Amino acid sequence: MTWSSVAALGVVLLVAPALPGVATRTRSFLTGRRGPPALQLYFELAKLLRKRVVYGATTTWLFRIAPVSGLVAALLAACLLPLDGRGAIAGFAGDFVLFAGLLALGRFLVILAALDTGSSLEGVGASREAMVGAFAETALFLVFAALVLATGRTTLSGMLGSPLVAAWSASLPSLAMLGLGLFVLLLAEASRVPVDDPATHLELTMIHEVAILDYSGPDLALVLYGSSLKFALFTALAAGVLGPRAALGPAAALAVLPAELLLVAVAVGAVEAVTARLRLNRIPQLLVATSALVVFATILLLRPA
Amino acid sequence: MPALFFAGLAIIAAGGLSAVLLRRRSGLAAGVFATLIVAGCAMVAIPAVDMLTGGRAWEISLAARVPGGDWVIGMDQLSAFFLLAIAIVGAAAAVYGAGYLAGAHRGAVAFAHAAVALLLVALALVVTARAAVPFLIAWEVMAIAAFLLVMYEHEEDDTRRAGLIYLAATHTATLALIALFATWGVGARDLSFASLAQVAASPTGFGRNAVLLLALLAFGLKAGVVPFHFWLPGAHAAAPSHVSALMSGLVIKTGIYGLLRVAGLIGGVPEWYGWTLLGLGLLSGVLGVVWALAQHDLKRLLAYHSVENIGIILIGMGVGTLGRAYGLPAVATLGYAGAILHVLNHALFKGLLFLGAGSVAQAAGTRRMDALGGLARLMPVTWLAFLVASAAIVGLPPLNGFVSEWTIVQALLRAGLGEGAIRAAIFAVAGLGLMGGLALACFAKVNGVVFLGRPRTRGAEAARESGPFLLGPMLALALACVLIGLLPALMVPPAIAAAGVVAGPSALGGVDLSWDLVRFSRLAVLLTLALTLAWLTWRRLMRGRWRTVAHTWNGAYPLPTPRMQYTASSFAAPVLEPFGAIAGLRAERTEAGLETHPFDPGLDGVLLPAWWRMRAVTASLRSAQMSRLHVSLLFVLATVIALLCYLALRANW
Amino acid sequence: MSRTAELVLILVVLANFVVLGTARLSSCVRAVALQGVLLGLAPILLFPGWSAHRVALAVGTIVIKGLVVPRFLLWAIREAAVRREVEPRLGYLPSLLLGTVVLALAFALAERWPLPVEGGGLLVAVAVTTVVHGLFVLTARRNAVTQVVGYIMMENGIYLFGLTQAERVPFLVELGVLLDVFVGVFIMGIVVFHINREFDSIDSTRLSELAE
Repeated sequence: MTWSSVAALGVVLLVAPALPGVATRTRSFLTGRRGPPALQLYFELAKLLRKRVVYGATTTWLFRIAPVSGLVAALLAACLLPLDGRGAIAGFAGDFVLFAGLLALGRFLVILAALDTGSSLEGVGASREAMVGAFAETALFLVFAALVLATGRTTLSGMLGSPLVAAWSASLPSLAMLGLGLFVLLLAEASRVPVDDPATHLELTMIHEVAILDYSGPDLALVLYGSSLKFALFTALAAGVLGPRAALGPAAALAVLPAELLLVAVAVGAVEAVTARLRLNRIPQLLVATSALVVFATILLLRPA
Repeated sequence: MPALFFAGLAIIAAGGLSAVLLRRRSGLAAGVFATLIVAGCAMVAIPAVDMLTGGRAWEISLAARVPGGDWVIGMDQLSAFFLLAIAIVGAAAAVYGAGYLAGAHRGAVAFAHAAVALLLVALALVVTARAAVPFLIAWEVMAIAAFLLVMYEHEEDDTRRAGLIYLAATHTATLALIALFATWGVGARDLSFASLAQVAASPTGFGRNAVLLLALLAFGLKAGVVPFHFWLPGAHAAAPSHVSALMSGLVIKTGIYGLLRVAGLIGGVPEWYGWTLLGLGLLSGVLGVVWALAQHDLKRLLAYHSVENIGIILIGMGVGTLGRAYGLPAVATLGYAGAILHVLNHALFKGLLFLGAGSVAQAAGTRRMDALGGLARLMPVTWLAFLVASAAIVGLPPLNGFVSEWTIVQALLRAGLGEGAIRAAIFAVAGLGLMGGLALACFAKVNGVVFLGRPRTRGAEAARESGPFLLGPMLALALACVLIGLLPALMVPPAIAAAGVVAGPSALGGVDLSWDLVRFSRLAVLLTLALTLAWLTWRRLMRGRWRTVAHTWNGAYPLPTPRMQYTASSFAAPVLEPFGAIAGLRAERTEAGLETHPFDPGLDGVLLPAWWRMRAVTASLRSAQMSRLHVSLLFVLATVIALLCYLALRANW
Repeated sequence: MSRTAELVLILVVLANFVVLGTARLSSCVRAVALQGVLLGLAPILLFPGWSAHRVALAVGTIVIKGLVVPRFLLWAIREAAVRREVEPRLGYLPSLLLGTVVLALAFALAERWPLPVEGGGLLVAVAVTTVVHGLFVLTARRNAVTQVVGYIMMENGIYLFGLTQAERVPFLVELGVLLDVFVGVFIMGIVVFHINREFDSIDSTRLSELAE
């Protein structure tokens, strides 16, 4: 644990709610509309935290602990990422399995909480969330395996740290493909456009939004913040692969971090502006295609030099 | 230590006997049975724990008057690890069984208890036998005891069908085993494992590939590896729940034990065998979980998950074998260790899941998931235990399933960083990711549809929490799952020691995980603390701001009924759709709904049609043979001529 | 092999995957057009030094494979009012999976073929992959336009194979291939047009009705 890793975590926690806003704003701008302010989520969180919480009579304790537990899992996952580009707060050999496991824990809780309400609409969301998650996790494991091959390290700090800089010069096409794969995963995991539409208002077409339909007040604030944190984590991952900061000094890396995050968010918005939402049964296709891309990158990495 | 081990076995057997002798006083019989089995299991566990914490291996031989040499019983780390699983799950299942069968017919109950005791003794002997003859005897006793238990509810057609298929499968396995020892024993002094290992090590060589193939068939059938899984779901679903726990947790693991033991005895195992194991593991893992998702019957679903977990174990064994074949000792040790640890973990959480499913089925009167719902309020303790086991089988931190998955991933990554063709093994990581994601979907479905929401039927509404005999074992198993998850440093080193038996003791030097394990354990504990603390703080902060209302918001529809809740089939549909025909699901779409009917592509798609076809062909042959004497004589003549030709050709070559 | 050449070959494979995974006909054609341009660049980038022949070959390839043929196909789609969707015999997911397996096998075996190769294993692997992917599209897609696309992919793969032997058999292979593509597409285009006029459909499964 270094001061810069803790500071970087702080930066990510602060910037996280801005990312969905920036993406949406970019999308609105590019499609000729104004859209909500980029900092909209901060206002919403502040408002929600002041409110009371309402629970359906069907729900159990699981519904109540899910938001706070999901957030804790995401926070711990954030501790495993080398957000300052050099080292994570905590880590061990094969810690990416824990990273993926923590995200899966969050997803498990969201799905169960949705089913806890006994509402058929939220059942729809829960089932779709499970479907996206299953295929996204496959691709995520492949990306990490490829990074292990590219850098020869099995910790996240090593995979995204200085060995990555060397790997870029040795195997540029593979890493570019991995970055692209992570970007698609970001779109899927953060429920952005080709996979899910955060701006839609029709329950039948939503995925993540409909699964959390029953949350209100501070609980909803936790859920929304947790989602934005997940967005930030995948953004940081994609940014960490596409623009490794290990060569910079700690202070410079910290300064570049928010810029990189916002840049990826703008890219997300740009993609949203030019693509349409996929039909539901095309989502696994997108994610399997992503996996195929990553497999190709891995094959290139496995080639004897 | 050997004395303690045999005394433990004797006490377990006495427990079975007491159930029969005291059958007229069922309350007393259940108590005595449960006490004796727990005591016996504890006594069996002591030598196992002693062995795993650095005790000395022992072997004793009994002079036998049958061919095949002395009967040797022995203990090493591998046996100890399996014994530990047998002791824990066996004790839990026996206590549970004492409560579970309380209301049933006295004679049948006594019989079932005796069979459980017999099964446990046989299991313990299978993993400690050090010679072919006692191994085969224990193996066969185990198979028969399990068959009798599967047939417990023999009035049902489904049970009889499942029992027969199981019997056919297990006898095929035994036949292959006999062939295996016959092939291997050529040129051996006797049939003790030590002599067999000598044969394997001798330079003259033996039918190594034949032995490995026979081992794959025999032990793969027992373990339920795809495509040999066809007997498993039916048998596990038909048996009483504590027996399902024993079968899924322990009996199928003897197949894994056999594969590991054979690999250990043979020593150098060829590359193709490692790739085959890895491939079969991926196949079983992915297909097992896909087929599980398609199920509507709670216990069938859990049974298919056993196929999946056997796949995970095989992936570990496959990469371990590859590590050995390509000369990477660290990969070999980690792969085998992950597989062995997953054997214990799966025994714990799958045992627990079957026990939980039994409680649910008993309380609500049905195993059909779409007829359940809302049991979380009615059976809160059962649900808690079931939820812990669900999270563990999905591989979520901080539980035990995650630990073994992590160990296997370690092996795969190190294989990827190795030299030569073994690097391609790293792609198996994707399989593990897919299995994890699909298992998550599956257990979200189970927990959501069975325990959450509102009861869908009267039966589910009438469910009540089970008694202490049922809850106690479940909570104990749940605790074990949490413990291994929180302190991987506790169980991973013994698993690595057990892997040394298979990978060769020299391989152990290449692995140093202690530092990573400490940090991993620290993080797991931290996660648990953080979850608890955050929840307590949050509850405090929110005090007085919580309000419960009568209805869930349901798309503004004012009168939701429980039947409008999302069903298991609907939940699984989008996840299964991409898998198309291999999902083993026939969907019927009507105007008002979607109904799906699961079938097993292996059993119902291939095996049974082939069987009926064969029967039809043989029946037509039989009629020909019966009708005319000269036709029958013609057959005999043709056979004799064919044999003579064969012999003549063989002599010439 | 230079970095740029490697990149070009990787993009060729990615174009294959676009064809395997997309549902839109025009995307297929665009991917093949991109592949044509990349193939044009390949001989310049793969081998050091410049020569008039090589430049001519590159320009010719780019113009024909990258511009003329795709234009022609897009025109055929529009003109023949073909359905805009690929009609897969085998779904997209199995197609992608099989495509990946083919890729992995090609790369695993590329090092072992006893071929006198210039340009290294990557070129052979990519060539094999492209040929097999093309064959796959030919068999697993129903629409006549996708059949043409699969045929072109196959030709592209053979072209890449030709490059591995470029020094031994100069230009002959390439020119032949170019001509082949041109003729093939021409014929298929006419067929497309005709089938459509006669039967209001270019579904090739209906072709079998002619035989009956």
